[in-house]
Amino acid sequence: MIDTILVVAATLVAAPLLGGLISGLDRIATARLQSRVGPPVVQPFHDVIKLLNKEPVAVNVWQVFCAYAYLSASMIAVVLFALGSDLLLVLFTQAVGAVFLVVGALSSTSPYSLVGAHRELLQTLSYEPLLVLVAVGIYLQTGSFKIADTRAWGAPLLLKLPFLYAALGLVLTIKLRKSPFDLSTSHHGHQEIVKGLLTDYSGPFLAFVEIGHWFDVILLLWLCSLFWATSWTGMILLVAVTYALEVVTDNVTARMNWRWMLGYAWAMGLTLSVVNLIWLHVR
Amino acid sequence: MEHAVSNLVGTPVLLSILIVFPFLAALTVYPVRSARLQTLVVTLTGAVLIAASLLLIPRTPFTLSPKSLLGVDIHVVVETADFLLLFVFLHIGFKHNHTLIKILSVLQIVSLAYLDVRTMSGEHLRVAALYGDNLSLILVLVASIVGSIVCFQSIPYMKAHEEHLEVEKSTRRRFFCVLLLFLGAMNGVVLSNDMGFFHFFFEVTTLCCFLLIRHDGTPAAVANGLRALWMNSLGGFCLLLGMISVFTRLHALDLGRLIELSSKSGIYLVSVALLCFGAFIKSAQFPFQGWLLGAMIAPTPVSALLHSSTMVKIGVYLVLRLAPGMRGAFLSECIAVFGAFGFLAGAALAVGQSNGKKVLAYSTISNLGLILACAGLNTPEAFTAAIFLIMFHSVVKALLFLCVGTIEQRIESRDIEDMRGLCAKMPVTALITVSGVIMMIMPPFGLLLGKWMAIEATAKNLAVVVMVAAGSALTVVYWARWAGTLMSEPFAGRFFPERQPFLTWGALGSLVAGGGVMTVAAPWLYREFFTGILSPGYSPPYVVHGGGLENGWGAFPVLPLAVVAAIGFAVSIVALRRASRVRIVKPYLSGLQTDTPGMFLGPGNRPVKAEASNYYLSSIFGEKRLATLVNLAALVFLILILGAAL
Amino acid sequence: MFEQITRGSRVKSPWLLHYDCSSCNGCDIEVIACLTPVYDIERFGIINVGNPLHADILLVTGAVNHRNRKVLENLYEQMPHPRVVIAIGSCALSGGVFREAYNVVGGVDKVIAVDVYVPGCAAKPEAIIDGVLLGLEKFKKLSNNWRGVGGIFREAETNES
Repeated sequence: MIDTILVVAATLVAAPLLGGLISGLDRIATARLQSRVGPPVVQPFHDVIKLLNKEPVAVNVWQVFCAYAYLSASMIAVVLFALGSDLLLVLFTQAVGAVFLVVGALSSTSPYSLVGAHRELLQTLSYEPLLVLVAVGIYLQTGSFKIADTRAWGAPLLLKLPFLYAALGLVLTIKLRKSPFDLSTSHHGHQEIVKGLLTDYSGPFLAFVEIGHWFDVILLLWLCSLFWATSWTGMILLVAVTYALEVVTDNVTARMNWRWMLGYAWAMGLTLSVVNLIWLHVR
Repeated sequence: MEHAVSNLVGTPVLLSILIVFPFLAALTVYPVRSARLQTLVVTLTGAVLIAASLLLIPRTPFTLSPKSLLGVDIHVVVETADFLLLFVFLHIGFKHNHTLIKILSVLQIVSLAYLDVRTMSGEHLRVAALYGDNLSLILVLVASIVGSIVCFQSIPYMKAHEEHLEVEKSTRRRFFCVLLLFLGAMNGVVLSNDMGFFHFFFEVTTLCCFLLIRHDGTPAAVANGLRALWMNSLGGFCLLLGMISVFTRLHALDLGRLIELSSKSGIYLVSVALLCFGAFIKSAQFPFQGWLLGAMIAPTPVSALLHSSTMVKIGVYLVLRLAPGMRGAFLSECIAVFGAFGFLAGAALAVGQSNGKKVLAYSTISNLGLILACAGLNTPEAFTAAIFLIMFHSVVKALLFLCVGTIEQRIESRDIEDMRGLCAKMPVTALITVSGVIMMIMPPFGLLLGKWMAIEATAKNLAVVVMVAAGSALTVVYWARWAGTLMSEPFAGRFFPERQPFLTWGALGSLVAGGGVMTVAAPWLYREFFTGILSPGYSPPYVVHGGGLENGWGAFPVLPLAVVAAIGFAVSIVALRRASRVRIVKPYLSGLQTDTPGMFLGPGNRPVKAEASNYYLSSIFGEKRLATLVNLAALVFLILILGAAL
Repeated sequence: MFEQITRGSRVKSPWLLHYDCSSCNGCDIEVIACLTPVYDIERFGIINVGNPLHADILLVTGAVNHRNRKVLENLYEQMPHPRVVIAIGSCALSGGVFREAYNVVGGVDKVIAVDVYVPGCAAKPEAIIDGVLLGLEKFKKLSNNWRGVGGIFREAETNES
């Protein structure tokens, strides 16, 4: 019991710190790729603290509710992950957050929010099946959906699930709001339809969304790390390389439209996943 | 105390209350013109049914073979009634000059007669008429409780409905009569063991369905009713063919024996496949979805009762019933793929719809597909998933239908776009609707529990799991879109709850509460009810551990998750209450917003409405584009299933 | 301590909203130039956002005319407190060469309170950055009346000139 409480507390403290830090590193890396110096590494924390202390304004009280609900769902998902719970359940919980974010944006009458919300739904539609299939792949390999069992698995999963990992990379690009998939909203000074989904979130509520996003990032990177759970070096290396690739992708591609995204994610992602799953079946 | 009550009322009495009593109540209500008396009869019948179904709980499993009804052999009664029904169908066919109905009625009459001749000649085993295990019990509970709640709500609904249509002569008594008739027939179907009984009750539900769809009497209503009739007659005909083939093998029309027999021989599987075809049609699976979509023209309580929570469940019930018999057969796997395809296609078509009732219809088809997929997979886990899905889908979908009905009577539209900003007009109904949507797609609620089980159970079947994964993503899209639309209005923090009749609030409130309570109780429901169903040969796949369900490779901590979710919800609610002090600004409209919400300053300083609508992606998911493709694919699957049986 | 952290973060994370009233685009080009690698204002945590609901600093270029004064007011009203308004270039300061035109209201301060004036035609990027940093002085002086997230924010706007 005490162990559980400790894990929960540690996760709730460490995840946003780590998430913010990763976001800061991301911004520096992006700036360097654009021959700029970039902000200090703690910049995301400055942003969030500032937002938390701004005047709370909202266009609609439901939006306040949805911001809180999004943050709670993202936190619960990461905590469940830390506790080694069921992977599918974690993914569903994470999806709850995404849905509340969308509902909050839809509750505004601004067309910008509306378009952003619908694009976010399409993004969810694009990546959700792939995430489920990744979980299924892990199950077929390790015989369990429980994250604790996956962690304890003896060999790196990446060797058996390379294509599923590629599909997960696709998901990551969408979830991190990176080009070419940053349709619903964008990050770090990019603008897309006046920030799309986030148009009418403001002040502390925007900060909640940002913190929730950090939790989501941590969740996905943690999921990536499961693919080399046998050694710390392998885990860190894998995640670092993956993230670096994401940053490069972000900077060398242009934003595309949702049709392309949906087609690409489903055609490419589902093919990769299915091929990998067939391997696992045949074996 | 409990024993005293159960001694007082024997199982035969309870069963006759559940099956025969609604028929009698229906006959009672038919001549009654007084609205008060109608209300009295309907509410009383509902209350009696609820009580009887609850009393039935500790009595499963039971077998019952009543010998006679009013001194006449009950088998003769049922068979005669079945013939009468088919002649009624034939009459309807002639009255509306509908060739298909004529042909199908004649075919059914001929095959029923053939069957009767065969059962009478030769040594025919009299089989137990009724059989109840926990699977039937759950369906009885759903039909009696959810069904009665829907009947309660239909009282104020029909009043408003007739006022709105300005009918001169009230036909409400006919409506209630059919509704009650249906409740009895529904209980009869799921409790039948003799397939003759099953067919009879099946046909009664078909007749009720036709009468209720055509209730308003408009040409469109009649046409859609006729479509439902011929499609379901086709289902009945498949059922009869299946029965003939079962009789050839068993020399008895015994559902229980059929399942115990479980073999992989051709004739056995063909008879099972034919019975399943009848089930698919009743569950409105592609390509027979037409009748369910058309049925949306009926008054909304009808859709809530027949087309979401009860009647369409007969199909999946039958397949679940038959599933143990075809375990290990390729046929079973084909049904799984067919079901998963239905799930995916239904969800995709729902995305393309802006008509609220059509979204609900497609979503029903989609969920029934998922249940079929689970039945086809035929593992204990999948079976559990299917039963959870049946239970929770019935409650939540009935709730959503009733919500749409209530909304429709107020705003006179069932289009999702017209529901924009509903939380300003009817905040309580809007909130209840959103809760329904949340129960549809979010953990820890029961439907997601079912979906979670389904995915974990299907994980080893590649084709099924890919379709289920894609379908569940599509499901999220159309539900989230709807919930958001209901909430979209500047809202200053003051609530002005709308007025509705007591029965409406009662129905909506009890369904919401029921969904919530059942979710929290899910692990214990599982422990008490499900283990019995999973026999024979099925071992309980999950253990109840720490308020959650767990097996060797997965865990769903229902209760802890519910507690955490409740805390998150409470915090958000507190935030929402405090948010009423937040400065409310206008949504971003490029700095051109005016004081009227949703208007911007256009050319010539005139206010223009900022109009935007949801994405319905009709270029991809539109009916025009998808329906033909889906129907063709479903037809291929059906042929595949038949091939698998042969 | 919280107060100091908050102030520090406000100063280090000013998000800009750039509104072109009716500028000749000279100043706008210079504003955009600040984002380029040469000046790289993201070094200071400055981000150019497109949305008043996210912004801390309103940069206005060009003279206000009768058509867009309402827009300027609207944008200003949508910005959550604390906020700073910076007028960039001669036209925003006073109306500039358009001052006497029939359709021009005048400088930005005819419509909303301006905190910092950055002169120039066009204003140089260095001057704009300097102006923004000067505007941040206002945040440093603000007392922090933070009363919990979701609470009411009361602010003494000290430096409105």
